[in-house]
Amino acid sequence: MKINGSVALVTGGGNGIGEAVVKHLARQGAKVAVVDMVQKNIDRVVKDIKEAGGEALGIQANVTSEADTARYIKGTIEAFGQLNIAVSCAGIIRDGMMLSLDKETGKVSKKLGLDKWQAVIDTNLTGTFLCMRDAAEAMVNGGWEGLLVPISSVNKIGQVGQINYSSAKVADALMPKIIVGEFLMRGIRNIRCVAVAPGYTATPMLTGMNQDALKAILEDVHLGRLVAPEEIASLIGYCVENEAINATTIEITGGLCYPKGIAK
Amino acid sequence: MPTLTYNDMTFAVEPRGDRWDISYALPNGANAIAGAGLLAGLPEGEATVRALALIKTVFPVGIRCVGPDVSHPNTIGDLKIIGPDVTHPNFIYWDKDSVSCPKEL
Ligand SMILES: NC(=O)c1ccc[n+]([C@@H]2O[C@H](COP(=O)([O-])OP(=O)(O)OC[C@H]3O[C@@H](n4cnc5c(N)ncnc54)[C@H](O)[C@@H]3O)[C@@H](O)[C@H]2O)c1
Repeated sequence: MKINGSVALVTGGGNGIGEAVVKHLARQGAKVAVVDMVQKNIDRVVKDIKEAGGEALGIQANVTSEADTARYIKGTIEAFGQLNIAVSCAGIIRDGMMLSLDKETGKVSKKLGLDKWQAVIDTNLTGTFLCMRDAAEAMVNGGWEGLLVPISSVNKIGQVGQINYSSAKVADALMPKIIVGEFLMRGIRNIRCVAVAPGYTATPMLTGMNQDALKAILEDVHLGRLVAPEEIASLIGYCVENEAINATTIEITGGLCYPKGIAK
Repeated sequence: MPTLTYNDMTFAVEPRGDRWDISYALPNGANAIAGAGLLAGLPEGEATVRALALIKTVFPVGIRCVGPDVSHPNTIGDLKIIGPDVTHPNFIYWDKDSVSCPKEL
């Protein structure tokens, strides 16, 4: 599928990886819908795309809401007449250990709250499911060629302190196999699904992390630095144009290793 | 350049080549771009009608909060805080004109 002339929507498009993806696709000639919860970030990204001569629509929406999902898909199609690429980038972290122990008694002093669990599952898993489901519905009913891109994470392998996040991201990574398998069963041949699992990437999300932990992690990255959001965006662009890439999850980590050098 | 007023917001539909940009006034007097390079090839009249339909989809109005949402309490230790929260399903959007929003949902 050619990027030029296609229509893309990117949730979480107001910041970080999502912003890099919308700008990359717009530069290559796609019409883009910037979906995010933060209106001022949407306005900034749409303005940048306009100034670069691109075509963009901003839509404020909460990806955890089924009604909002229907609304941002409808808005994209009203503005651009079709939908070909849906990238689910909206995501949050609410890190914490499942149990914390009292140092003196050794008994449990604190449990990870359901609020932290639910918020991450709602945004990172339910939000992605709703986006993939409704984008696929629009593509099938419209007869449009398409690519669905859930954003997973290298922490899908299970990261301590992230039981909520890792659980959501491993589920996101499974989606391509399931979705493409179901498409095959239903005779849907023109829509692909490829998940992307970034490693530690230079976005505002990482400013929420423990900075000492981040420094230690970078020592185990072969590339020696954080992945740039633009590098993730260019991988997604490549996935759009190479139709042999399908039903899989691609990691882009700069070579993340376990301490002492075994690649994860 | 057509201007549209929709639920206390003022939008402008401006031509750019054969396309249309939709901007809106922010409360601080500045302008933000709602959409850029849209509705290719449409004449002004049709572009204005289509722009208004798009604005109504993109900017739902009359946000109403229905709650509390007892299934999603925020917890601090044993304390359960049940209240409105934009990330929860009890926070709903009224996506029609505010005039038609019932006094009670
Ligand atoms: N940054 C990293 O190192 C990294 C690594 C692996 C995976 N990821 C994943 O990549 C994706 C993007 O991450 P990022 O680093 O760019 O984050 P970010 O915080 O920079 O951007 C996330 C965007 O999502 C939006 N968002 C959050 N909740 C939303 C909701 N309910 N509805 C609509 N929009 C919402 C935010 O407003 C923000 O603009 C996430 O899914 C994240 O889990 C990031």
